[in-house]
Formats: sequence, C-alpha cells, structure tokens
Amino acid sequence: MSIKGFFSKPLVAGWLGLLAGFQVCVAAEVDFDATAFDSKVKPFLEEYCIGCHNEEKQKGERDFDELVYPILDDEALVDFQDILDLLNLGDMPPENEPQPGDAERQEVIDWMTGAVAHAYDSRIITGGETVLRRLNHREYFHTIGDLFQMNMSMFDPTETFPGERVVEHLDNVGDALVTSGYLLDRYLKAADQIVERALPWEEKPAQQSWKFNGDFVQQPELNKRHMRAHGQRYLNIYEAPNTVRRFGAYAPLIAFEEGVPEGGTYEIRVLAEAVNRRHSFQHEAITNDPNEPMQLRVIPGHRRFGFLHMPQPFEPELGFFDLSDDGPQWYTTRNWLDRGFAPRFNYVNGTMDIRPSFRAVSKMVIENPDPSIPKPDLQEDYMVVAIKHGGVPHIRIHEVQIEGPFYDEWPTASWKAIIGDETFDPKKTRKIIHKFASRAYRRPATLPELNSLMEVVSGRIKKGHSPFEAMKDGLKSALCSPSFLYLEGEVLKADPSRLTDYALASRLSYFLWGTLPDEPLLSLAKQKRLNRSDVLSEQVERMLGDERSDRFVRGFLDSWLTLRDLGDAPPDRNKFEAYYEGGLESAMRKETELYTRHAIDENQNLSCFLDSNYTFVNGPLAELYGLEDVKGLDFQKVALNDPRRGGLLGHASVLTVTANGIDTSPVYRGIWLLENLLGTPPPPPPPDVEPLDPDIRGTKTIRDQLEKHRTVESCRECHRKIDPLGFALENFDPIGGWRSNYDDRAHIDASGKLPDGSGFEDVVDFKKILLDKQFLFNRAITEKMLAYALGRRIEIMDRPTVDGILADLEERGGGFRDLITLVATSDSFSKP
Amino acid sequence: MNRRLFLKSSFATLALPALESVAAKSVGAVKASASGPPMRMVCIGNSFGMYPKDFFPNEAGSNYAMTPLLAPLERHRKDFNIFSHLDHDVKGGHFSVHTFLSGVKMADAKGMPEGNISIDQRAAEHTGAATRFPSLTIGSEDGLHGGCHMCWTRTGVRVPPIEGPRELFRKLFINEGERAKQEAADDLELRGSILDSVLSDAKNLERRLGGQDKDKLDEYLTSVRDVEVSLELDKRWSRVPKPKAQMDEPEDRSLVEDIPVMYELIALALQTDSTRVASFEMAGTGFDTGFFGLSQGYHALSHHGQKPDRIKGLTTIEYYQMEQLSRFLDKLKSLKEPDSNGNLLDSTMVLFGSGMGNGNAHVNIDLPIILAGAGFKTGEHKAYPSSQGKRVPLCNLYLSMLQRFGVETDFFGTSTGTLNGLELA
Repeated sequence: MSIKGFFSKPLVAGWLGLLAGFQVCVAAEVDFDATAFDSKVKPFLEEYCIGCHNEEKQKGERDFDELVYPILDDEALVDFQDILDLLNLGDMPPENEPQPGDAERQEVIDWMTGAVAHAYDSRIITGGETVLRRLNHREYFHTIGDLFQMNMSMFDPTETFPGERVVEHLDNVGDALVTSGYLLDRYLKAADQIVERALPWEEKPAQQSWKFNGDFVQQPELNKRHMRAHGQRYLNIYEAPNTVRRFGAYAPLIAFEEGVPEGGTYEIRVLAEAVNRRHSFQHEAITNDPNEPMQLRVIPGHRRFGFLHMPQPFEPELGFFDLSDDGPQWYTTRNWLDRGFAPRFNYVNGTMDIRPSFRAVSKMVIENPDPSIPKPDLQEDYMVVAIKHGGVPHIRIHEVQIEGPFYDEWPTASWKAIIGDETFDPKKTRKIIHKFASRAYRRPATLPELNSLMEVVSGRIKKGHSPFEAMKDGLKSALCSPSFLYLEGEVLKADPSRLTDYALASRLSYFLWGTLPDEPLLSLAKQKRLNRSDVLSEQVERMLGDERSDRFVRGFLDSWLTLRDLGDAPPDRNKFEAYYEGGLESAMRKETELYTRHAIDENQNLSCFLDSNYTFVNGPLAELYGLEDVKGLDFQKVALNDPRRGGLLGHASVLTVTANGIDTSPVYRGIWLLENLLGTPPPPPPPDVEPLDPDIRGTKTIRDQLEKHRTVESCRECHRKIDPLGFALENFDPIGGWRSNYDDRAHIDASGKLPDGSGFEDVVDFKKILLDKQFLFNRAITEKMLAYALGRRIEIMDRPTVDGILADLEERGGGFRDLITLVATSDSFSKP
Repeated sequence: MNRRLFLKSSFATLALPALESVAAKSVGAVKASASGPPMRMVCIGNSFGMYPKDFFPNEAGSNYAMTPLLAPLERHRKDFNIFSHLDHDVKGGHFSVHTFLSGVKMADAKGMPEGNISIDQRAAEHTGAATRFPSLTIGSEDGLHGGCHMCWTRTGVRVPPIEGPRELFRKLFINEGERAKQEAADDLELRGSILDSVLSDAKNLERRLGGQDKDKLDEYLTSVRDVEVSLELDKRWSRVPKPKAQMDEPEDRSLVEDIPVMYELIALALQTDSTRVASFEMAGTGFDTGFFGLSQGYHALSHHGQKPDRIKGLTTIEYYQMEQLSRFLDKLKSLKEPDSNGNLLDSTMVLFGSGMGNGNAHVNIDLPIILAGAGFKTGEHKAYPSSQGKRVPLCNLYLSMLQRFGVETDFFGTSTGTLNGLELA
C-alpha cells in the first residue's frame, strides 16, 4: 500500500540516502549465493527491522513483512535498495534499538549489494522510457521563435494555452503533459497567428512618422486635474511602475492608441524633463531618492490587453535613460515594435504612493508663508494645487516622435528562413514545405508527411486561395502535426535500446536550449556521429557557450528550486515596501540565475550552492542584504564577508519562495529543503492527525507551537526531521532580509538538532553540517537534472546511471558544468 | 485516412465522453422543451474558503442567528440553505482545492468511473448542444499551488477559463461582421483540412513508433476528435445570430472590480439562454487587496494565525464576496422568466463554496457551502454529523443537484446517495 505512493517520488531512500555506485559494481563480481536470503538475510530483518517495519506499524511507510528473494518488481527493488542504503549509512536500526554486530551487518550488506546489482543487470532494458513527449509551453514558445527567426518580445503564441501540469516541480514530464481538444483548438489558432505574423506581406511597408505634443491625455482620474493644471501640454509620470494604485505610473500615448501599423523597428524620440528631482519631502510622503538621477523607461503597450495606464503582459524594455537635470532633452531609442503596439513610459524610480501625498502637499502649499510662492486658488481641487504648485518630483514629457518601420534586412529574417528566395515562387512550394517540415519535425520529413501537407496546399488552392496563402496554410498544418508537437523517442533499428541520432539531437537541444536543434546538431545527426560520447561532450561545451543556454538556467531553476512560484504570495506592502520599490522580485530571481550561470561558466564545485563567499547583487538587493557600495540597477559580483549570506540558503529568491509573504514557516521551509536540496521528501501527514491551526497571538512563538505538535507521536516522527531545517533559516524574514527578533520582539532562536544528533546554533553552523552531507545534495541535484534532461520521473532503474554519474563527478572534481556534461553523456540520456 | 470516416468509426466503437455526447445531442432537438423553463446551474468557488467562525451559524434549522459573513444575504434568507460538515474527505490543502466541484483529486481520477468530472461539466454534457455554450467557465490560469481550478472533464482535463469580462462579453454578444463571417467560415474549412492532414501524420507516427506509447497517441487522436465535434457545433451556431447586448462592452479592470461585472454577464447569459451552466472560479492570486485598502495579500491573510487584524482583513475580502453573491441573487430574482410567471432564480441553482475549509489550517474538510434557487426548499442551516463514520459526502448534494437538473444518474463522484433532508419546495 504505502509503497505505491512512495514509488512515484524521485528515487529516495529514507531520509538519508546514499552511497556511490562503484560499490555496487565491485560487489556484483563477487560470487553470489541466492539461497542466503532465507538462511541469513530474512532472519536478520526479522531480528532488527520488522519489529517496526511490519504491516501494522509501517514506520516511515515501510513494511518488510512480505519481502522475498528473488526481487520480483520495481517496488521490491526500492525496498532492497533502501535497506541497503540505510545499513550502509549506519542509520538503521535507530540508536535506542538493539544493534547487529559489525560482522553480521557487513555480511548482510555484502549480500544485499550483490542482490541489488543482479536485479539492475537483469532488468535494465525494461527501465523508464520517454517515448513520446509533447513540447511544453516554454519549449513551444522558444521553438516557434527559432523556427521562424521571429522577434518574440511582444508575442506569446502560448498565451491562451491551458495551464500546464507540473510533477515534482518539473514542467516537462511526458505523461503529465496532456493533450486535449482545448489545447489542440488553441494550437490551430496559434498556428494561424504565427504564420500570418511571420509572413505578413510581400511588399516592404512604407515608412511613416508621427509626432505627439499638446494632445496628451493622462489616465482618467488624473486627467481632469491635469487639464485644469496645465491643459494637455505635458505627459507627467509620478509613481514607480509597481505601486498599489498605479496613479500616474504608466504614461501612454492615448492619441496613438491603435499602435504601429506593421511590425518592425521604430525610432522613438522623447523630449523629457526631470522635474524637482532634488526635493525636500520626507521619505514617508515622497519616496524618490533625491540623489539618484530620474530613470525613464520605454515599454510597449497594446489596447488588446486592457487599459494602457495599467501593467500588461508584455513589457520588454525598449529604452532606458538616466535623465539629465538640464531641462527638457531628447532621448532616442530604436527598437522592435509589434503591429498594434505603442510606446508607453515609466518612471522607474518614481515615488510609491502619490495620491495621499498630493493632499499633504497641497496643504503645505496653501499654508506656506513664503510670499514668492503664488497663492493657489483655494476653491481649487487639492490635487490640482499639488500638481501645479507642489514641487512634487516627476518626469515631464513634452513631445514624442515615432518613425518607422525600418528593416535592417529585407526580406525579413523570417522570410529568408522559410521562403529562402527574395520572392515567393509557387513552383517551389513543395521544396519550401519540405524544408520547413524537416526543420520543424527536427528530422527529415517523411514522404507521407510531405504528401499530407501538400494535400492541404492543393485543397486550399482548389478553394480559390492564392498559392502563397495556400503555402502558408501548409505551414500551419505542420505546426499542428504530432510530428511537430511531440518529441519522439525513435530508436535505432539495430539497437532498440538506443535513440536515433536525430532523437538524441532533440533531447540535447531541449535539455540545454529549450528549443529545436540547430544546423550543426542536425548535421552531426545526419552523419550519425552524435551518439559518440566525445562528440556529445563537445556539443555540450559548444551549447553551454551559447546564450540560448540561459534558458536551461531559468528552466532548471524553476523546476529545481520552484522559482516559478515567486510572486504567487506577494509580500505585505507596508512591511516590505522595498520589495515593490526596488523591483526585488525580478532582482532576486536574477541573482540566482547569475549565480547559476557563473557556476556553469566557472565549473564551480556543487558545494557553491550550499555555501560560498560571493554572490550577485544590484543596488536594491544589496540594500536588502546590508551590503554597501552597490548602487543602481546593474548587477555585479560581490564578495561576501558575512558567512551568513553565502550559498542558496542566503538567496532572497529561495527565502521568499519558501515564505508566504507575511510569515515564515519552519515547516514549509524545512519540507522545501528536504524535497529540493536533499531529495528526501517527508511522507504526507498521517490521516488521523489534527492539523496545525496556527495561533500566533501573544508570546507563543512558532517554536513553542511546533514543540507542542511534536508531542504527538505520529507527528514527531517526521517533524523532528523537518522542523530543525526550517528553524535554521528563521533569521531570514519573508523576503530574505536578516532579522534577530520577530515583530513582537521575541528573540529568534535558529538553533536545532538533526535526527542524527548533530546540533547547530544558527544558519552558519547549519551550513557546515550541510557541507558534511554534500553527498546527499549531490545526489538530489543529479536526479533532478537527469529528470529534467529526460523529461520523465527518475525511477529505480535509473539508480545505476545516477550512481555512475556521481562516481564520475567525484573523479572530475565535482563541478557543476561537469555534472551537466555527465548527465548528457550518461547511459540513460541516449536511451528511449 | 478520411477524417469523416474516422469520426464515424470512432463514434461507433468508443464510449462518448464530453464533447462527443454534445454532438450526439446536437443531432436531436435544439430548443428547450415546452414543459416550462429550462433548468440552470451556476457554481461559484474561491481558493481559501470562508473564515468558519464568522460564516457558519451556531444553530441548525431555520431560526439560526445571522452570522457576520452571511449578513449580506439577509434579504435572501428564505431563499438559500447553508450546509455545514459537508466535504470530500480529502487532504492536501491548496493542492486539493481543485476537488471542490468533483470530489475527486486529479491524481485519483483514473480509478473513478467518471474520472474527476466536475458537477458543472456533468450538467453541461446533459445540456449538450441545446445552447450556444454547453457551459461557461470563468476564472483564471493563475493561482497559488494550482489555484482553485474547479472545472474538469471526464478525461481529467481542466476546462480552460474565460479570463475577463471583456472576453466573456465578446463571446456572448458580439457577432462577426459579414466579412469576418466569411473568414470564419473559411477558417473552419481550413481547420477541417488541417485535421485531415494531422490525422494521417498520427497514423504514420503510430506505425513508425511500432505502437509504443499508445496512450499519448490516443490522447492526441481524441483531441482531434473533440476539435472536430466542436467545429461542427461552431458551424451550426454560426448561422444563429447572437442575442443583443443589454450593456456596453466592459473593460477588464482587476479581479476584484470585475466580480460584479462577471455576475452581471452570467445573469445575461442565462437570461438569453446562451448557456445553462456557468461556473466562476475566484482565484486567490491576482485578488488585489489594495482595493480594500489592505497591504497584505489574500493568501497571506488566510494564514491569519488568529491575529485579529489579519482576521479582519480576511473577512473584509470574504464579506465583499458575499455582498456580490447577494447582488447576483437580486439580479436573478429581477429577471423574469420568458413565458412563465417565475423569475430566473426559480429555475437556477446557485452553488457557492470552496474546496478549502479553514484556510488558516489549510484543511479541506467542513467546506463552506451555500445553495440557492431552483425550487429547493430553502431557508435553513442544514447541519450534518461531524463525527467520523457518520459524515455525509458533499457529492450527495451534487447528486441531488444533478438529478434536479435532469440528469438521470444515481451516482456522482464519491456520492453514497442523494442528500438527506434536501427537498423540493
């Protein structure tokens, strides 16, 4: 029973797992006596294990009553492997129970090692398979961008796709990637959008220019005040983009609501002025830092996504300027704009909440005794007074000019990628379709596939469509074909245990780039050379040097450290204003990405994830960490002199994603650590337990509460493993800032004791213990990366592969880049 | 292979789930029967439940003392029932909120006769092609730990949500112009030939892969079939003009501000018989608490830890939800049923609740459940046994609702029968 639920988890073993695999290999050569199970092993288990792990008690969800030899199935193999691991570690039987003698223990270990190795050998071919895996949304997005050589900064064809299901935080597990009528319906719509967008016209669109001044419209609530204060002469921006009300935070060009007529490069010129930068308001009223230059950002907006003065899904940075203090100046940027998008403007370091401040400011103006300040009309709305006379810092836009579209190349890159020639020749339709399908399917398109696409084309021509339109319909059809939508695990005819070179090229490319294989990979596949381990390693090196591998960094961190959940539980706005003011959400993600990128580039030892003396910060993040001398929004590598911050456990991203925005929970953080860093998730709470209904009033600390919880025996079993890990991080608040006391001033006690007896005082101590147990971490990250690379769960039959990777990794020195290479060249990687 | 042949053969050999049964219906009569107004169903759910102390009355029966969170419904007191101690007996906190309308966890769907189909989709199967939209599912893709995704087909697929009032309005009321109509017809034609083409690819793939991983290919083939069926429906309905809108096209604002507009549109959708089944997921993420002058997020507040200020914040948000529900009931009462004396609420069952019980403890037991309308006897707090072994599954209520809706079935999800004590007026 219980084993069933257990089995689907990544290969785990007790809460402390494991040993390097070379022992398995060595032992396999020893003479093996199958009858010893009944004569030696079973009596041993009965003596030392079955007292707790029987059908009735099932401690740790284990039940060895029925264990028999030979090993009949994978579930039994999990049991054998677990017993072996824990005997090896000396973690079982528990301290307070009778212990076997050393010789007795060793004899059983030797026999079990052989038994397990035999089982792996005999079952190796029926192991986990990834036969047909649908592209997930992330992969679909990148694949389309690369296939069509298209600018995707304002276009996401997956926008309306139904949400994807994740398994153990992985977003690419084949059996969970369901296809439904709803999804196929949207694939059809997306295909239409994509192709029409990639090949919109055969004529180069004419350049136009637009000029906007004197007709500016602010957002509704602000506009009538602005009209009274200074008509339509200016477009003012007051707030930073990330505020509650967004009151004058997004400045749109309402007169250009319809956006640009065609996708292309546009030149955007803004006549902008920094007004009242050096103000003397208190921070509580106006939060702008008077010592920083005002920052103007240009972003696109589209009416389709709702109001232009509100945040929208596509906001790539089109331009970023530090404004001069010398009156209105021209600022120019050239950037891509999709059809229908218009530029909008942000004041990046604007104030946080201007509306209540307006009232205070108008009062100050009215009460100001200085005769040089003109007295406002007392009948006037307070906001008008503040806007007109208040001296509030803001960015003032006087004029905007837009010109375009310009094209660096014509025909466009998309056109060249698909059509090849300058103009479309209907006679070449078959050739175009063939080339496209072979690229889209990531292997030469078969004759029946080509024919079925050509049938669409000829059918459309018969219906009266032009050859060009019909050809495009053929492309659309290819984008809905299972040959495009699914990654195939096609195997070699000669050796069905190995992938074809084309299938291998795709696996590698989706692993490291999240997209289809490029020309070099496909040509190696064509020559059937990719399956050679040295060639594969070379390609890994090449691909990690390409910027597309940043997609691996992001995709893997989302799946490993659950960073995709950042922002799901927004922190308290009053308590953690810095989170919003400093744009910390994206900054903390960036830190972990840069850190991981660095670990790849420098082949850092995996221990860098547990502890280190450096990290990457920008100004706002440095402030959160209490680091001096880092200003501005650019990131830089900094040395950490404070041992508390080093490693992932000091990263604000990890600390925020493991909190709920308002409190920290040692339980939640503890489980997160067990699951993701140590690879030993605790079982779910037993069915009959009263759930924890937190009560944090009064002086009771979370520690007191959990201690009470642990007095229940069925709770204690797991919480003694979970809670201490979480307590080690209690000094970090819900957004990763350091604290010594809780809000009610109760002192924070971050000490704890692990189940194996090792104690720690604080996070610094705790990290030392983690480093001692780095073998656990190494196994966990290896299993996670292998799962991510294969697009499936790790199963018991992957154990020898994982053991092998870990052994090789140790030999090579334990670098992160080495790990990636070892995963890509591992046995499992080239198997279906 | 010819797609139409394929369709025919699959109809002949397969059980007909979801959309297939819709198509089967579409062959038959479209108009509602002459025997009175059609039955309708609206299901509303949130992510974090209702603060139990302010929600459930202390007394059972019809003379219960009003509770703070039910107060906005005071004027409808005689027209709804509130239920306590009903749930699906599942665990998992956020990860089980999605069971609200199905009673079955996604992961357990395979072992159930109807998978984890939700009550609204079960009802929609029954309505079939009688209305333009077999069901309207309104909600959001976002949501903490899977959000409150409530609507599931019998094949275990979440019905993707309509995400904002603008989209819903356009779906309900905007007719394509003449040119757009032609384009749409041409588009349907193109989709048809693409489906032919990809079907043949799928068959080839099956051959090439030697029949491995048949599940995944079957899934793809079923999808082709489902799209095919909905294409047929689209074709039928494209000839029928949409009803005239009685309001201007709304703007999408924020989830909180959009709630009243969504209710308004649901009421209009029912009134115009554009659909008879609607569900409304109020996801926790994106619930902009700044609207209430709160600085803390909805989810954070649900973890109130018994702190009074946080409970106050939480119940402010929940009170707002009850106010909007109350206004929705007002609206349904104000709309006259065509060709009948009654109003819309008389033939509409309105279910409000959540897959989360006590949010602070993250439990999925003792769910907050309200049911109004559709001619059930109402006005009571119906308290069911809370002790182990005597508890009543929430699916019993759902079975009663489905039967009332006209579905001829004697089970739904984890039901053990219809709900004792729930009668028709």
